[in-house]
Amino acid sequence: MASEMMTGKTQKRSLGEWAASRDGQKVFVMIAFMIIPLLLLFVFTYLPFAEMFGFSFYNMKYIGARKFVGLKNYVKVFQRDDCFGALKLSLYYMAGSVVQLALSLYLATILSFKVKGGNLFKGFMFFPFLINGIAIGFIFKFFYTRGFVFDTVLQWCGFELENLPYWLKDQSINNISLVGTSVWRYFGQNMVLFIGAIMSVDAELYEAAMLDGANRFQQFRYIILPGIKTIITLNVILSITGSLSAFEPPYVITSGANGTGTYFVIMHEIAHTQQKVGLASAMAIVLLMIIFAATILQKLFFKYVFKGADDEDLNASVKRDKKLAKYAARKAGR
Amino acid sequence: MKLKKVLAVTLAAAMTLSLAACGGAEETAPAAPAVEETPADSTETDTTEPAAEEEAPAADEAAAGVPSYSQVNVGEDYTNLTATIKWLHHKTDRAEDGTIDQMIADFNAVYPNITVEAEAITDYAEDALLRLSTGDWGDIMFIPAVDKSELQNYFMPIDTLENLSNEINFANIWEFGGQSYGVPYMANAQGVLYNKAVFEKAGITTLPKTPDEFIAALQAIKDNTDAIPLYTNYAAGWTMGAWDAYIGVVSNGDATYMNQKFVHTAEPFKDPGDGTGIYNLYKILFDAVEKGLIEDDYTTTDWEGCKGMINRGEIGTMVLGSWAYAQMVEAGDHGEDIGYMPFPMSVGGTQYALAGGDYSYGINVNSSDENKTAAMVFIKWMTEESGWCFNEGGYTVQKGGQNPDMYAAFDGATIMSDEPALAGEETFLNDMNAESELSFNAGGNTKVQSIVEAAATGSQSYDDIMQNWTMVWNAAQEELGIEVNN
Repeated sequence: MASEMMTGKTQKRSLGEWAASRDGQKVFVMIAFMIIPLLLLFVFTYLPFAEMFGFSFYNMKYIGARKFVGLKNYVKVFQRDDCFGALKLSLYYMAGSVVQLALSLYLATILSFKVKGGNLFKGFMFFPFLINGIAIGFIFKFFYTRGFVFDTVLQWCGFELENLPYWLKDQSINNISLVGTSVWRYFGQNMVLFIGAIMSVDAELYEAAMLDGANRFQQFRYIILPGIKTIITLNVILSITGSLSAFEPPYVITSGANGTGTYFVIMHEIAHTQQKVGLASAMAIVLLMIIFAATILQKLFFKYVFKGADDEDLNASVKRDKKLAKYAARKAGR
Repeated sequence: MKLKKVLAVTLAAAMTLSLAACGGAEETAPAAPAVEETPADSTETDTTEPAAEEEAPAADEAAAGVPSYSQVNVGEDYTNLTATIKWLHHKTDRAEDGTIDQMIADFNAVYPNITVEAEAITDYAEDALLRLSTGDWGDIMFIPAVDKSELQNYFMPIDTLENLSNEINFANIWEFGGQSYGVPYMANAQGVLYNKAVFEKAGITTLPKTPDEFIAALQAIKDNTDAIPLYTNYAAGWTMGAWDAYIGVVSNGDATYMNQKFVHTAEPFKDPGDGTGIYNLYKILFDAVEKGLIEDDYTTTDWEGCKGMINRGEIGTMVLGSWAYAQMVEAGDHGEDIGYMPFPMSVGGTQYALAGGDYSYGINVNSSDENKTAAMVFIKWMTEESGWCFNEGGYTVQKGGQNPDMYAAFDGATIMSDEPALAGEETFLNDMNAESELSFNAGGNTKVQSIVEAAATGSQSYDDIMQNWTMVWNAAQEELGIEVNN
């Protein structure tokens, strides 16, 4: 098919000539460079995904006979209490991600101005992100154990052990405890991303704003925030999708027991303990759809939120262009 | 512009080409390891059938082909055999402390030309299944959770059930169609771990024999000592699944219950009213939690830590299989305080104890004949000569073998092992477990954990939980079309 197109295009040149020509060589080089990464992407991402999509229509275990059941697995996902019930826990993680983003944005703003020992703080706060998620799980397992680290620290602050809750046992707060670990782990990384973005804001703008009498908050609101909106959007989207697929904290710390089983943990249980591979695959596809939907909604939301700023920019530049054109015309006329 | 179009089309063509290539490989490759297609099935049965035929005539001339388990005389036959076999196992602790290497060295003293490469796998239950599905995993592995009907596709028959039953206990664990596919490396008798010193201090002179006596004993421990009466090991998860081990023989004294009657029972979780049955089994846990006879914060229990705690007398009892006994003894200076007693439940005045095989050696059906023979010799040597089972505190696998002292308290109890499932119903229990998601003895830790949660938080009454179980059990029976007897 490809060669047909080519001969159609190069009636004057034969295929061999084209291949030997600079144009042809360019194409070959491009293909040669792209084929390996694309192949890897295909083999290790799209092919397994397609397989999983196929699995979701079967009643199957890892080994043994498979039975085609059509959409029955999807129906089950929506009928079962535990699948969508688990998504409620994502609200905890979403709330946590809001806290996390606000905290990291706040710290990033402070640290992007001149602060004593700023780099040291950046280092300390980024450090948790470098620790392996499983290790963090084990750290916090002991951290929250009755009478261990957290309780001891709180006792130093004057709390009585009897008045302290059981951080992982009490079902009204154990999810908050788990979300806390995830906030602790990721806020440093968000902060570093924000700092990077804030650095790219032109420093002259602050000076100009200061001359106009803008205070720190106004500088943040009108200069920094619009300047880093892309990275904020990205971080929000990543955090929300991350909340929907929270796995490590509940899996390692509580192994999903005691009302902490998130969607992913339930999926893991169904796939590996119950070996209902088809159902688990269907759950994965449903989650993917939910994440798609969430991402698109957020995209639309941010488009709406930042619409005002964009319009302003657009008008301003149009006006400026017009003025420049007028100026140029006058100059030319002279 | 035109060049760009051409470029795009060529690229697309190249991509589709490579895609097609992948698709082609995809279609042909799985036929070998995967087994869902009928042609693959028929070849598998082809390979097993000759093996089955061999057994009858080859009884006197074992030289031809692979010998069966009963045909091997350990220490006499095949001492000149040269082979390299690979063995996958889950005993990472024994690999680290050199026990495995020592046993292989002892084996090589008799069979110098058989090289055994042992590989310990940490997350065995899951990883072994994955390795198994690749087909190329070695020669011997501890058989993971495979449906019995699938056994012949992956493992060679060790011997007929009849012959193997004369050689070892628990020959029926991996029996399918009259053939046994596995030999357990050790066996466990299911009882309860306790600390003798704690019991003495609490004033408990006779071991509890019923659930009521057990709860009373726990209460006595709470009242008279500082020890935790019953340590649940809730956080580790699988340690809670250990409670499932008592639902058969122990709770009703019927060896055919677990594998034959259970799946057909209409209301297996009903209270029989005499302190027995599955209902009263889990009720012990529920009551203990409700009465505060367990650790303070069950969500942060520490499996490694509990070994030292029971050794030091900080824990009264733990409900775990006998395999745990040796670890508790080794965990500190007071090993002599650790005791093992039959589960506190009496059926008609008699305590029953379930003894059953642990992980079983299975031999790869796709290995070469030499490797199969070497593997067979190795397995039999491990069972009869290595002393591994005894050293681990296991109930003897070899018929008439010696039992460790820890089983002294089991003298009054009747020890039984579960009968295998009836022909044609081998997959029923697995199917029911998966469909109902209760997963008895198959990693169903969550359901036992939820009993603890319900008892601690009061979110659900015990009868509600049991009713729930009955509901999903009956739904699964209906879904799978399994006959229900009342």
